Amino acid sequence: MNQPHIFHEIDNAMRSLKDAVILMAGLTRQNLERAIQALLTRDIDLARMVIGDDSDVDDLEVRIDQIGMDILIRFHPVASDLRLVITSMKMAHNLERISDHAVNIAKRAKKICKSNETVEAAIIEPLYSMAENLLRDALLSYTDTNTELGESLKPSDRALDAAHKQVISLLSGRIETSGSRTENLLHLIFIARSLERIGDLAVNIGEDAVFLGEARNIRHDHKKDKAPDAEQP
Amino acid sequence: MNDLLEKPVITPTSTAAVEIRNVSFSYGSTQALKDITLDLKKNEVTAFIGPSGCGKSTLLRCINRMNDEIVGTRITQGEILVEGINIHHPSVDVVKLRRDVGMVFQKSNPFPSSIFENVAFGLRMRGERNNAVIAQTVEESLKSAALWDEVKDRLQESALGLSGGQQQRLCIARTIAVKPLVVLMDEPCSALDPIATAKVEELIWELKHDYTFVIVTHNMQQAARVSDRTAFFYIGELIEFSDTKRMFSNPRVKKTEEYITGRFG
Repeated sequence: MNQPHIFHEIDNAMRSLKDAVILMAGLTRQNLERAIQALLTRDIDLARMVIGDDSDVDDLEVRIDQIGMDILIRFHPVASDLRLVITSMKMAHNLERISDHAVNIAKRAKKICKSNETVEAAIIEPLYSMAENLLRDALLSYTDTNTELGESLKPSDRALDAAHKQVISLLSGRIETSGSRTENLLHLIFIARSLERIGDLAVNIGEDAVFLGEARNIRHDHKKDKAPDAEQP
Repeated sequence: MNDLLEKPVITPTSTAAVEIRNVSFSYGSTQALKDITLDLKKNEVTAFIGPSGCGKSTLLRCINRMNDEIVGTRITQGEILVEGINIHHPSVDVVKLRRDVGMVFQKSNPFPSSIFENVAFGLRMRGERNNAVIAQTVEESLKSAALWDEVKDRLQESALGLSGGQQQRLCIARTIAVKPLVVLMDEPCSALDPIATAKVEELIWELKHDYTFVIVTHNMQQAARVSDRTAFFYIGELIEFSDTKRMFSNPRVKKTEEYITGRFG
């Protein structure tokens, strides 16, 4: 909405809220990228940095909740203003969970780095690319209120799910003959799982962006599409 | 239908208590309402919102022909039906109309008489002579208006000694004592503190099971809290009329969005 509020303090508060979400989104993406880098380049220091920086993301989640609460208390927002507050608070929650997954990846990367090189780590990279693209598009759908983009994420997430299954299958197959590398392969399985979950959380953000832009709730639509025939007359 | 008319002009078929059909209204040469059409459903609260001068109070006052008292004003087109009856039909008794379509004003206006007599006034005007019936109706009305417990021991004291919030609830009791079909409220809480406002809002919520309410308010939160539907007016035009939850979460019209979010002008 380009038209400013008559009471400019509302615009200032809304701007603070959105800026905090964008900052949190940037930190979260950076944490994820560094966690994967730490895994692929066997960089323990980078993994430690991700684990340490997560508290900044946690602090931002609390700050966004506080700004949102302040706006609700002071300005009683309605319509698109209300949707921005609700969406931003939900987005902060999703970002915090994504950053937690980045931390999980970094912790497992640290453990992998301490042992012999695990060549299978490279097969995580395509999964990361898919999850990162999903996250980037989800964040764009929020910052630009691009509902079309927000609604388009499910097919990409399904592709990520399929790739995740393949990776799990491959890694599980190798565990049987891996000997001392079993623990590292299990770490990779959990890393793949985190990336798959990040895809799901990105889809949630895209759905929230649709609600932000059009007040349309598209959550669980895929379940409705699959409603059993028995329910039809 | 009450006794608005001895013979109804139109048989009521609608779920609407009030049907406003293509109404335009002028103060002299100034057009205040332009081709307004909307239904006020029975047992619902409808809020009229909009900036000052948008015509919301004018429309409210059209529903019980309060504007008849202002020289030079007239409905230039359209009609208003209350329970299916055209309120401008020559055989409509305006006094009876205003009993069926009661009104509560911005500033509480108790008569300079006792609490009891304020509520009994409409009944006596209607010709009720049975003191037992009057006493019972006064008690019921004060209970409905959530005022009974506060005044039952001082019914003969002056109504002017009540607080602002109590006076407004007394006015509501006075209005409902004659069992109206519709209660019109013109900014009923604008002079009240938050507690008194909450009591009036609770009252509206409770009483809507028996009456149809129309409330003019500048308070967006009040409209969102108490109304089922909201009509937004701007420069005499009805811009949007929809379910209140819908209007305050996702208004259809950009002008509405700008107004309710405070981006107007």
